[in-house]
Amino acid sequence: MKIEKYPVIVGATSMVYEFVSEGSKGNISKLVIYSETHLHNFYNLGFGDKDETTGKINDSVVTNNGDSEKVLATVAATLYEFTNKFPEAMIFATGSTKARTRLYRMGISNNLDSIKPDFEVFGLTAEKEWIPFEIKREFEAFLVKRKKVNL
Amino acid sequence: MKKAKTTDKKLTILKVDKKLDRYLDKGLFKEKVDKANHILKTVGLPKFAK
Repeated sequence: MKIEKYPVIVGATSMVYEFVSEGSKGNISKLVIYSETHLHNFYNLGFGDKDETTGKINDSVVTNNGDSEKVLATVAATLYEFTNKFPEAMIFATGSTKARTRLYRMGISNNLDSIKPDFEVFGLTAEKEWIPFEIKREFEAFLVKRKKVNL
Repeated sequence: MKKAKTTDKKLTILKVDKKLDRYLDKGLFKEKVDKANHILKTVGLPKFAK
């Protein structure tokens, strides 16, 4: 199934993306940021709502703007642009709350058919073990890496 | 009018705005980055395909 996506504005580094969610609660600016960690090529994917007044980012809210599938498909699609620039990147994602982690899981599940041919996708179990992602299984965090293309 | 760039998997890019990169210096999502570093240290990485 093809899910619609929002158009994005991208930073010059390809590490920051902004788009506008349009739904029942109005227009809400969203930011997706790939942040460096202590390990080279290991990035955290953060995403949240931008408060247009303060400029602050809220990553703990579940907005309920009625367009979560489209929002998550857009976030998933940024993986392609990011890994076009950083093909060796490993991308870590987790929610700031259990509800947000479930949202991430839903995003991966809904977009798995699209993502899986191009990315290895892992989930971190409660036993602190990385295993290949399984739909409907609870995970604490997620990790994706673009598959190498054999030419 | 410039045509928006479309990448594989149809991410439509309206424009590149280097001002967005200022967010990289703001320490956003610090708790999550700390968690990522903690998991790296305590769990490590999965076995990726070669």
